[in-house]
Amino acid sequence: MDKTLLKINNLRASVTETEEKILDGLNLAIGKGETHAIMGPNGGGKSTLVNVIAGKDSYTVDSGEIEFMQEDLIEMPVDERAKKGIFMAFQYPSEIPGVRPWQFIKASVDAKRKFEGEKELSVREFSKKYDENLEIVGIKQELMKRSLNEGFSGGEKKRNEVFQMLMLEPNLALLDETDSGLDVDALKSVGDVVNRMRNDDRSFLIVTHYQRLLDHIKPDHVHVLIKGKIVQSGGYELVKKIEENGYESFE
Amino acid sequence: MEYFNHYQKNFNELLKSSDDIDFRKRNFDFFSKNGFPIKKKNDERWKYLDLRSLEKKLYSHDLENSDKSINLNGIGLEEKNTIKVINGVADYSEILGLTLISPSSYNNVATYNEDEFISLNASMSYKPIYMNINSNFIGNKLNIVYYSNSDKDILECPRICLNVDNDIQLTLNEIFICSETVTLKLPVTELTLCKNSKVFHNLVFESSFNENNFKFTRVDQHENSYYKFTSFSNSSLIAANDLKVSMNGENSECDLKGIYFTTKNSQFNTHVVVDHNVPNTKSNQYFKGILSDESRAVFSGKIYVERNAQKTYAEQKDLNLVMSKGAEIDTKPSLEIYADDVECSHGATAGHVDESTLYYMMSRGIDKKTATQMLVNGFASEIINEISDEEIKMFAKNQSDKILPELTFET
Repeated sequence: MDKTLLKINNLRASVTETEEKILDGLNLAIGKGETHAIMGPNGGGKSTLVNVIAGKDSYTVDSGEIEFMQEDLIEMPVDERAKKGIFMAFQYPSEIPGVRPWQFIKASVDAKRKFEGEKELSVREFSKKYDENLEIVGIKQELMKRSLNEGFSGGEKKRNEVFQMLMLEPNLALLDETDSGLDVDALKSVGDVVNRMRNDDRSFLIVTHYQRLLDHIKPDHVHVLIKGKIVQSGGYELVKKIEENGYESFE
Repeated sequence: MEYFNHYQKNFNELLKSSDDIDFRKRNFDFFSKNGFPIKKKNDERWKYLDLRSLEKKLYSHDLENSDKSINLNGIGLEEKNTIKVINGVADYSEILGLTLISPSSYNNVATYNEDEFISLNASMSYKPIYMNINSNFIGNKLNIVYYSNSDKDILECPRICLNVDNDIQLTLNEIFICSETVTLKLPVTELTLCKNSKVFHNLVFESSFNENNFKFTRVDQHENSYYKFTSFSNSSLIAANDLKVSMNGENSECDLKGIYFTTKNSQFNTHVVVDHNVPNTKSNQYFKGILSDESRAVFSGKIYVERNAQKTYAEQKDLNLVMSKGAEIDTKPSLEIYADDVECSHGATAGHVDESTLYYMMSRGIDKKTATQMLVNGFASEIINEISDEEIKMFAKNQSDKILPELTFET
């Protein structure tokens, strides 16, 4: 059986509006159950990469291939990718006035279950899971009575992303700088959730600037992304090297 | 013009059976001098709308009114506190504890020369109602339900003037039920809020593409009174929600909110004026619009602060979601302030459904159509949830649920 979950070959992508080229022949393979981290300087293409995988249409794939579970992703609509098991924790989650978190997340979970041919969760089943996961992530019920992300602090938004990841149980979770702006406790909490969710079928791709989150998670693979290309890959020890020498030594 | 003669004839006919002749004549004179406010360049309120159709069709009273049935169960309202206005004629026989007052003892809130539609209403209204809501009134809720069932092209000029007595708390619901009748409705509701009174006023327009509906609400607030107005409107051919609140008593407060949906080729005009005439009053205007297809909406809002009205606190906001390329919104907030110690703010926006928010929602597995509907619904529900009456809130929610799947959206 093929253990590859995501396979990216020679990917070139640009910003749709300005045609600015960002990814420049990127290769990456993520196996089932693996946790990968992507590090690199600002403007190197880290966020672009995860957004292209999630399907944001303000980026255009100019050439190359992205396969997810042996299926071509490039033409697939964003919602279908999500239903197939791709999840992204956003760097800047949107605020949605008048939409309650409960209602939003129930709709997400139901959409996915329906796609998989399963029955929608009953309100009771859903609520049980919802309350348990809120507890795990450390979000107060009170906060979730507001509109989604409205009036949430930066840290609360990030926790809410991680909470949605718990609820949606993805096959591939993309974390786009989930650790930025988090205090030490929140950082540990995010790390704990990721570790708790790791299993033989679930993979993570974690975009970060810092060593802190990776110290909690200890990824299987670490990649350095500079100017749209992965210039070096290695194990956790690569994180230390970056921390000591910076990115210049890779250029 | 042909329509002048037509309404003159109607007016003469009606005058034979009326008592308040001077009042009616004064109003009709103003109307006949000005006509309908069609493409008048200096008239900020109506100049953005195309009202030419009003000249072409001639509307007449239908006073026969044999069928008085309206199905109120669909809304969940009770007969015993409902004024039924059918083809413009009000029936209040079922209501307990109403105290009617004579027109001469009533101090009009709307003036004869402020608007051509109001003048036409005042001159042509058949059996206007003047009443006092005091402690004799049974219950604390009054519904006014408007419905048309004529097979003619009818003119409807209902006029309901309520004096809400000192210390009374009242929920006032006004609902326009859609019909097949081709009609020009010019309903006027006048409210006087006496000392310490509280009125929660909810107004709902059902969609009706045979109707032109120019609805006027005029409010006079006395000392320490509180007025909350929430409107929900769905498309008609041409419709207006025209609201003016005069803060004439210190420590009075008003909270005015509304949501308008416009679809197809409908035109909708929201016009709101708050006059702060005395010190220490507070007002809030918060309106939202959702426009699709080739529809057109106008919002003109005004905060007026009189020279001596110090310590006025006034806010105004109009936010619009434009769903299609053919839809158009003119939004025009304005402030006119003559006092120096006041706190006023205003703002208006018009925008499309936010792409990055849609992406966020779709990245959770929600398809684009559902995501858009959730966004629009969220946008609207902020206002709908303000409706103070549970039955009316449900009615508005159901209306909104019906509209959402029909909305087209282009990005």
